[in-house]
Amino acid sequence: MPATVIEAVALSKHFRVMQKAPGLKGALKGLFSRVYRDVHAVKEISFSIKEGELVGFLGPNGAGKTTSLKMLSGLLHPSSGQAHVLGFVPWHRERRFQKQFTMVMGQRTQLWWDLPAWDSFLLNKEIFEIPDAEFETTAKELTRLLEIEDLLEIPVKKLSLGQRMKAELACSLLHSPKVLLMDEPTIGLDVMMQQKVRQFILAYNQRRKATILLTSHNMDDVSELCSRVILIDHGRILFDGPLSEIHKRYGDGKLADVMRTVFSEQRVH
Amino acid sequence: MKKYWFVYSLYWQEGLSRRASFFMERFRSLVVLLSFYYLWSALLTHRTSFAGYDRSQMITYVLGMNILRSLVFAGKSDEIAWEINRGVLSGYLLKPVNFMAYAFSRDLSEKSINLLSALIEVCVLSKVLGIAIAWPHRWDTWVWFIMAMAGAVVMNFLLSFIVGCWGFWTAESGGPRFCLELLLEFSAGAFFPLSVLSRPLQAFLQKLPSPYLVFFPLNIFLEKLNPTQITYGIMTQFLWILVLAGGTRLVWMRGLNAYAAQGS
Repeated sequence: MPATVIEAVALSKHFRVMQKAPGLKGALKGLFSRVYRDVHAVKEISFSIKEGELVGFLGPNGAGKTTSLKMLSGLLHPSSGQAHVLGFVPWHRERRFQKQFTMVMGQRTQLWWDLPAWDSFLLNKEIFEIPDAEFETTAKELTRLLEIEDLLEIPVKKLSLGQRMKAELACSLLHSPKVLLMDEPTIGLDVMMQQKVRQFILAYNQRRKATILLTSHNMDDVSELCSRVILIDHGRILFDGPLSEIHKRYGDGKLADVMRTVFSEQRVH
Repeated sequence: MKKYWFVYSLYWQEGLSRRASFFMERFRSLVVLLSFYYLWSALLTHRTSFAGYDRSQMITYVLGMNILRSLVFAGKSDEIAWEINRGVLSGYLLKPVNFMAYAFSRDLSEKSINLLSALIEVCVLSKVLGIAIAWPHRWDTWVWFIMAMAGAVVMNFLLSFIVGCWGFWTAESGGPRFCLELLLEFSAGAFFPLSVLSRPLQAFLQKLPSPYLVFFPLNIFLEKLNPTQITYGIMTQFLWILVLAGGTRLVWMRGLNAYAAQGS
């Protein structure tokens, strides 16, 4: 029986957000009197994910997916509730925890813009204290799988989006993390590149028995990678179960159409 | 420790890869240096001394000011608030790295590039213009001077870090930061020696950390302080470092609780 790797219990997050009336008048008014409102981004969500599972975390924009990932990665302190990842409380940010997980954010890069990607690889080697031999083997394997061996000495700013994304993925996985939190890993990529990244994620999951939780608006990512999905909207979990169950309940059409139905009607329990 | 050394080295590489920015920054520094040099040369044309400094000491203060500005005030800590507001900080928080040590390493990298350039500029300028520098007569002056400079570097880093942490609570830290930096440089003696100011203002400024950033180290170099004053100054720097380090830790820990990881 695989061990539970990610566990969230009644996890909630509220933000205080400033509101501004539109236009110049609103901007002037905001100089002297500011109005704030509480946004409940995540409301008491609970779920658990076992070792080696590849789970899709789906929902429309503003549903609370990224906020949940940020709490599980330790970036955000929750307003209430508990979470454990690999047995650690994420927001305590223990070194032993950070060395075993990674978070890939499709729209953000950790690569140094003016320097070749290899320099960023070397920096991660030092930061994660990866032994020389292990680094060599892993870097070789990752760059071969992602087909970026010839791009490592070119300044990152000269790479295409797809090449950068692949280099970013390799850089994030150099320390062989056991848990991957991926936020839109294929965003902005063309169809061919999306396919390659998906194949790579699946291969990594199978080879390393890594636990992966990914958010995506691309339903091809979900249908090709995830056997289980968690649907979230307005900060609440609407569904948590096998992908096949969604089709059983809501029809065999394209996953994107099924999702549209689910989120527009919000009838899933 | 090795990781921070690597950060230092990468920022060197990055700094040198941006040639246009590098040379423009050096040009700006040279213009500031020449402006101060000609201003003080003009003021001292018909006088033998000004505010307790003879001509050679005052010109040495101006040149030393240029070097200390490069060492003490240069750095990347002014980016911290921006990194917080844009969510760039998330990238550091996800890794097993101490962000303060990381920020200090990149600051040191920027400082060493600037220091090296400023030293070259000052040497070339003093040779070309035939400036007589008031070098210290005693070897122990160098020891105290280096200690005071190290203290100034740490103090300014901690001050900048605290100001950068405002980004946790507001997206508008740029304005207050600009004002504070200007006031800090003025009260540090980075525009002129503080002895030019009135005595009550001098007495007030001595109660702040800023005079220990530029004015105090340069007065050690010019041998205008006796051993008691130097010891008192070094101890005061040390106490300020303790106070600022405590403040930095407090602000950082509270800031992390308030961090919204926006934009990431």
